[in-house]
Amino acid sequence: MKKQSFSALPTVLCFALVIALGLILHLSFADRDYSENENRYLAQAPRFTLKALFSGGFTADFEDYITDQFPFRDSWLDVKSRAERLSGKTENNGVFFGKDDTLISRFPQPEEKSITAGIAAVNALRENTGIPVVFALVPSAAEVWKDRLPASADTADQAALIRRIYEGVDAATVDMLSALSSHASEDIYYRTDHHWTTLGAYYGYAATAEALGLTPQPKESFRPVTVSDSFFGTVYSSSGVRWVKPDTMERWVPDSGVTLTRYDSPEGTVSPVYDESRLEVKDKYSYYLGGNVSRAVIETGHGGGKLLVLRDSYADCELPFFFAHYAEIHVLDLRYFRQSVSEYTSGEDFDAILVSYSLSDFLSDPAVALMGT
Amino acid sequence: MVFSSLLFLFFYLPAVLLVYYLVPGKWRNLWLFAVNLVFYGWGEPVYVLLMVFSIAVNYAAGRLVAAHRRKGRLILALNAVINLGLLFFFKYYDFLAGTFGLPVLGLSLPIGISFYTFQNMSYPIDVYRGDAEEQRSFIRYGTYVALFPQLIAGPIVRYKDIARQLTERKETLEQFASGALRFCAGLAKKVLLANNIGALWDVYKALDPASLSAADAWLGAVAFTFQIYFDFSGYSDMAIGLGRMLGFDFVENFNYPYISKSVTEFWRRWHVSLSTWFRDYVYIPLGGNRKGKGRQLLNLLIVWCLTGIWHGASWNFLLWGLYYAILLILEKLFLYDRLRKAPAWLGHVYALILVIIGWVLFSVEDLPSCALYLRSMFFGGGGLISGTTLYYLRSFGPSLVIMVFAATPLPKKIFERLPEGAGRILRPVLTLCGLLLSTAYLVDSSYNPFLYFRF
Repeated sequence: MKKQSFSALPTVLCFALVIALGLILHLSFADRDYSENENRYLAQAPRFTLKALFSGGFTADFEDYITDQFPFRDSWLDVKSRAERLSGKTENNGVFFGKDDTLISRFPQPEEKSITAGIAAVNALRENTGIPVVFALVPSAAEVWKDRLPASADTADQAALIRRIYEGVDAATVDMLSALSSHASEDIYYRTDHHWTTLGAYYGYAATAEALGLTPQPKESFRPVTVSDSFFGTVYSSSGVRWVKPDTMERWVPDSGVTLTRYDSPEGTVSPVYDESRLEVKDKYSYYLGGNVSRAVIETGHGGGKLLVLRDSYADCELPFFFAHYAEIHVLDLRYFRQSVSEYTSGEDFDAILVSYSLSDFLSDPAVALMGT
Repeated sequence: MVFSSLLFLFFYLPAVLLVYYLVPGKWRNLWLFAVNLVFYGWGEPVYVLLMVFSIAVNYAAGRLVAAHRRKGRLILALNAVINLGLLFFFKYYDFLAGTFGLPVLGLSLPIGISFYTFQNMSYPIDVYRGDAEEQRSFIRYGTYVALFPQLIAGPIVRYKDIARQLTERKETLEQFASGALRFCAGLAKKVLLANNIGALWDVYKALDPASLSAADAWLGAVAFTFQIYFDFSGYSDMAIGLGRMLGFDFVENFNYPYISKSVTEFWRRWHVSLSTWFRDYVYIPLGGNRKGKGRQLLNLLIVWCLTGIWHGASWNFLLWGLYYAILLILEKLFLYDRLRKAPAWLGHVYALILVIIGWVLFSVEDLPSCALYLRSMFFGGGGLISGTTLYYLRSFGPSLVIMVFAATPLPKKIFERLPEGAGRILRPVLTLCGLLLSTAYLVDSSYNPFLYFRF
C-alpha cells in the first residue's frame, strides 16, 4: 500500500507543476503592450468595477487579458500551427499553407448587401462629383495564385465577384485580374503579407494608366532597389506559421523632387515619400507613403494635371508610378477622412478620380459607402 | 467559467487545489461551496442568486420531508412545481410564447439549469424513499449541488450516490493522480478532438443544406457525431477527474457509445446519468414495465419526449426524442432480439447510421433545413461528391482516423496490455503532452464552445 502511494507522486507533481507554473510565470512577467509577431495590441488587465462585473464585461475582458498575456504566447502559437500541419491540415486560422512557402488568406464569401452597397457608392461618387471615375479592384492572391493553394481549397470566386461589381458601376473599370494573372508566375504578391509587391503594383499601374488615358512607362525604365529582405507581413502574423522565409521589399520609383504632405492635422507636415524608419519595425509595408493618413497631397515636380485617389493601402506602393503623369496627386483614406468627397472635389479641379481598392477591403470596409457623400 | 480555458487551468484550479489541501478537512466543504459560487458566478453573475435560491428550496424540502414523512408526497409535489416551474420559465417560456404569439421575454438561459435542477430534485425524493438521510448542513448540501466539476454539464450526480462522500471522503495521492490523468484526457478530447472536428461541422452548417452533395452531407453529419461525443464525454471525463482530485467519486457517464450494436445499447452507453435519472424518477414511478406491454410503451414514449425537450426548447429536440422513442419501442417489440442473432457488423452499421441521422435531427434546429439536409444525405442535393469534400477529407482525414480509434476502447486496452513499468511512465508522459498541446490550442483559441452548456 505504501509503495503504491509513492508511485503516483511523479504524476501529481508534474501536473501540479504545470498548472502552477502558468500562474507563477504570468505574475512574474511584465505585461506586453504590443505583439510584433501578431502585429496587434494585446489586451491589458481590465479595471474592476461592480457594473462591469454584473454586465459580464469584466470577466470576458479578464479572459482575453490572460490569453493575450499568456507566458511564451508566441511559442504556443508556433506549436499549434505546427501541430495543425502535422495533423494533415493545409490551413490555420483561415490562412492556407500554399506552395513555395506562400501563406494565402481564405477569401470569405461576402454578404450580398456589401456588394450592392459598394456598387451604389461608386455610382454616387460619379454623380455627386461629375468627374470621370476610374475604378480598379485588385483581387487577392487567393485568386491570382490559385495554383499555389492546396487542391480544391475552399475560397470565394473573386473573378465572379469583380465581374458582378464592374457590371453594376457607371465608371471606367480596370481589369486587374487579367493584368495580374498573366504574370502569375512572377513575385507579384508577398508570400507573407496580403499586399501586392511593387512588381505586382507595376502591372496594376500599367493597366490603370491605360484606363486613365495615359501611356504607361515601360518596365525597363525602372531600376528596382531592394529596401528590405526581412519583411514578415500580416498573413504571417495571423497564420501563426513561423516556418517560412521572410519577404523582400523593393522601391522602383525615385522620390527626388517629390513633396509629400500628410494631413494628420489641418496644417499638414511634409514627410518622406519612403519612410525609412518603418523598415526598422514590424509593419514595414508602411514604408510606402508612410502608412495610413486621412489625407495626403503629393506634389510631383512634374507637369500634368491633378488626380484624386480614393484608396486602400494597396495603392501606397502603386502611386509612385503615377508621379510622372500628374503634377498633383491627392490621396484620401475614407476611414479617417471626415469631410464629404464632393465638397472636397468642388474646391479643386481634378482631371480624374481613381478609386483603387483591394476587393477584400472594398467589400468589408464600411467606409467605402462614404464615397457617395 | 469553462474547464477548457486558460483562466480555469492556470488560475482557478491551482488556487482552488492549493487552499483545499492547506485547510483542515472540516473547512474543505465550506471552501468548495465558496469557490463553486465563484465558478458559476464568473459567467453568470446574476443567475448565481437563482441557483442559490434553488438550492435553498430543495434543502428545505428535504428537511421537511424528513420531518413530516406522512405529508411527503404533498411536499414533493410542491417542490416539483417550484423546480420545474423555474426550469420551464427560463428554458421553455419563450419557445411556447413564440409558438402561441405571446410576448417573448428574451431572457438568457441560466447555464446548467437543466443539470442542477435535476440534481436538486433527486435529493428530497431520495430522502422520501429512504434512499438517503436528510442533510442538515446547508453548506454541505450546497456543496453537493453546486460542486463545480459537475455543476454545469453533468454527470448528473444523484444525492444518494454522493451523500456519504460529503461527510467522509478521504483524498489520496493515487486518487489525485488518476483524477489528474483523467482530467487531462478529457481536456485533450475536448480541445484537440471536439473543437477540431467542430470546425468542420461549422463549415457544413453554414452551407445551403439543399445543395450539399451526398458525401458532403455525410461528412458534416459524421463531423458533428464526433464533435458532440468528444465534447460531452470529454467534459464528463474532466468532471470525474476533477472530482477525484478533490476526493469525490462520480458516476461514469459514457461507455464508448459508438461501438453499440443497437439503439437500446447506445442509450445504455450514452449520457448514462441522464437516462438513469429519467428511469429512477420518471419511468419507474409511472409504472415502468410492471403494468402491461401497452402501458410500458406509453411510458417509454413519455420518457423519451421528456428527454428530447430536456435538451432544448425547440421542435427538433422533441422530434429527436420521438425518433428514439419509436426506435426503442421497435427494438423492444421485436428488433432487438433479431439484432442479437444477426452478425455483429450488421448491428454496428445499423446503430451507427441511426445515431448519425439522430444527430442531424439534433443539430439542425430549423426543421425545413433539417429535412433538406437529410434529403441531401440520401439523394445528394448537389451530386454525389464535390471538390469541397475532397479538400476537407484530406484536411481532416488523419484527425478522423484518430477519432475513430479514440471512440473505441482500443487505446485503453493497449495501455492495459503494456508492461507495468512502461505504462507507469508512458501514461503520465503522454497525458502531460496532451495537457501542453491543449494549452497551445487554447492560447490560440478562437473556437471553444461547450455544446452541452445550452441544456
